[in-house]
Amino acid sequence: MKKSFSEFKRRLPVKLYLILAAILFFIFFSNDFGLVDIQKTAIILAVGVDKSEEGYTLTTQIAVPQSQQGQTVTSSVQIQAEAPTLCNCLSDIYAKTGWVPKLIFCDLIVVGEELAKEDIFGSLDYFLRDEYVSDSCLLAVCEGKAADLISSSSAIDNTTAFAIEKLFSDASEKTGHLSKNTLKEFSIGYYGASESGFMPYIRQIPLEKEMQKEQPTAAKSGEDGGAQEQMIYSASDTALFQKGKMVALLNSDQTFAFNLLRGKVFSGIFTVHEEEKPASLTVLKNEGGASLNMKGAPTAEFSLNLKVRIHNKGVPSPIGEIADSEPTEELLSLAKDKISEDVLSIWQTCVQANCDLFYLKRELYRSSLSKYNEWKEVLLTTVQPNIKVEVSKVS
Amino acid sequence: MNKISARQLYFFLACIAPVGKLVLMPTQLVLFSKNDLLFPALANFALQAGIIFLIMLLSRSNKTVFELLRYTFGKIGAAILSLVLALFFLYAAFCPMLEQKLFVQGVFYDTLPSLVAFAPFFIFSAYLCAKPIFALGRIWDFLAPVAIIGFAGLMIFSIGQADYGALLPVGAGGGKGFFEGFAYTLSWFYDSAIVLLLMGGFRYEKGMAWKSLLSYLAGGAAVLLFLAAYYGIFSDIALRQTFAFAKISKYFAGVTVLGRFDYIFICMLSLVMAFYITIPLQACVVCLRETTGQRGMPLWYAVGVNLILFAASYFSNFYNQTAIETVSVKLFWIFPLFCCLVPLLCMLLRRSPREKIVL
Repeated sequence: MKKSFSEFKRRLPVKLYLILAAILFFIFFSNDFGLVDIQKTAIILAVGVDKSEEGYTLTTQIAVPQSQQGQTVTSSVQIQAEAPTLCNCLSDIYAKTGWVPKLIFCDLIVVGEELAKEDIFGSLDYFLRDEYVSDSCLLAVCEGKAADLISSSSAIDNTTAFAIEKLFSDASEKTGHLSKNTLKEFSIGYYGASESGFMPYIRQIPLEKEMQKEQPTAAKSGEDGGAQEQMIYSASDTALFQKGKMVALLNSDQTFAFNLLRGKVFSGIFTVHEEEKPASLTVLKNEGGASLNMKGAPTAEFSLNLKVRIHNKGVPSPIGEIADSEPTEELLSLAKDKISEDVLSIWQTCVQANCDLFYLKRELYRSSLSKYNEWKEVLLTTVQPNIKVEVSKVS
Repeated sequence: MNKISARQLYFFLACIAPVGKLVLMPTQLVLFSKNDLLFPALANFALQAGIIFLIMLLSRSNKTVFELLRYTFGKIGAAILSLVLALFFLYAAFCPMLEQKLFVQGVFYDTLPSLVAFAPFFIFSAYLCAKPIFALGRIWDFLAPVAIIGFAGLMIFSIGQADYGALLPVGAGGGKGFFEGFAYTLSWFYDSAIVLLLMGGFRYEKGMAWKSLLSYLAGGAAVLLFLAAYYGIFSDIALRQTFAFAKISKYFAGVTVLGRFDYIFICMLSLVMAFYITIPLQACVVCLRETTGQRGMPLWYAVGVNLILFAASYFSNFYNQTAIETVSVKLFWIFPLFCCLVPLLCMLLRRSPREKIVL
């Protein structure tokens, strides 16, 4: 007994040392368990970047968690700063508010239209350099100034960033009516052989005054004390970029066709007109792709295989036709023509803007370095499109 | 004396050693070899596997490297060479320690923590360094499953997210890219020197040389798979993705929806890495004790080398990049000298006091 106690006493310092080392090491790995002092931290939900005389204007939407009647409600404030670089802007926000700007929860970066016409990596590189910004955050370009968009009053959410992010949910992406992109994917396109990319183009749409009257509780006070006009947002257009500059815009039909080519659409709807009567078709199966064929005369091969059914007709139909949602051969042919036309118009837009939206240069680079060096300057203008669209009914 | 079993050695070669290559080595490879990053990595693994194979053949004598040095160079010569080896191991421990520090600060913290935050690592390291190096086997028994689960978890999340076409075209980096990628990542390949030091700490069994070679190549294959996924995910921006293994799994749909539960696997690998980077320090302590003829308690040696490393960490705090570049690029030749040439020269050492050296 005495021996075992003396053995215990001998080993005790080592054991205590080991326990201390383990505790300290655990604390080191824990990052203080990720606790954030929200009194001192600005949790930035979204940022808007615009060009300004001094360099850039950064508009941040900062979450302000508040407790109301026992419930935690997230409202937000917009803080703006103007400086030669975005880093300066964030320092400026820190100086103005005393909040440490924290971008780790920032899920949305909106670029103003004017800035988008320059190489936007003059500003976006900040987000790529900073280890504490998620490269999965969404990128978008907006009509007018990003500051106006971020500061606008949303009709559907207290926080504009959340309202805009709703547009970019996975479910809405599957409808094919918007093309979302992340900082990572856009950067890969920019720094890759194609030097091209895309972003959704956001427009603000004012709610009609009659609708606002129906929702008086959602109104917010503007700076002038009056009711700020409430907005909803649309991102059905797609901005195309080449070498970081916005060079063209795809309209909503083209955006849908682009998403079909990416094979992203499920339950997306498009409308064709049969003898001037509209019919909406739902895409239930979407296989799409774009590739480069360098055998013989180089061609850009676009292939689409869609299975559709009728979802709605803008004219009264007999009950038998409603029960049987299969489209007629004529309707399928019209759908095929429409999609083919849209794909062709995308291609023409890309050629005019010299935007390699389908990463054909990258494909050539990967398949043959020598051919890439030979063709890279003239590829888009030389290649002829070969569009194969199959639209069939669900059997 | 504790002996390392053959199984534990295979665990080290296949599961523990590869983990040390996942933090900064991928970006270093991309910097020099671009999309051809797999080839220099493969060459380094093959070279190390070959050297380990030869060391295992040498270990058939069941003597430690210090005994062989004593038989050949006498006590004083062996002590001097042990000191040189100790200095090498201390040098080899510097970059992995910096990597670990930068990794934890960059990944587990979302603002830059103070330098002192890394100090607990040295307390932990000093404890391990004070233990006999042959006791490592038991730790490897515990760490191997942790490494396997951590690595498998990360790869399950990331393997499907990669565009492996990004690895094409083969040869885009050119011969220069291959050579630079190979040479400037040699500082991550000091495993053969560790195995050399472990000689005599395990009993050679029949076929152990081949099995060790295959174990190391299996670990290398896992790293190559990781590198392929890493480049496939980040493609042309891979160079920017330092601390790659903490990032590749975050694009998995489940992680996007539920949050970063992949951190469980990242933490598992970080734990293995923390043990792995203390091994050169332990080796340094062993060599120092051999130099002094086993005088003094191991704890004092352990505290000493860890204090040196802590000071190095403190003074290089604003020069991390320069320090890593100096070790891995400017002084890259030190590693093949100690990890390839020294083991090869050890083949010429006397296996017994009376044996003649035949060239």
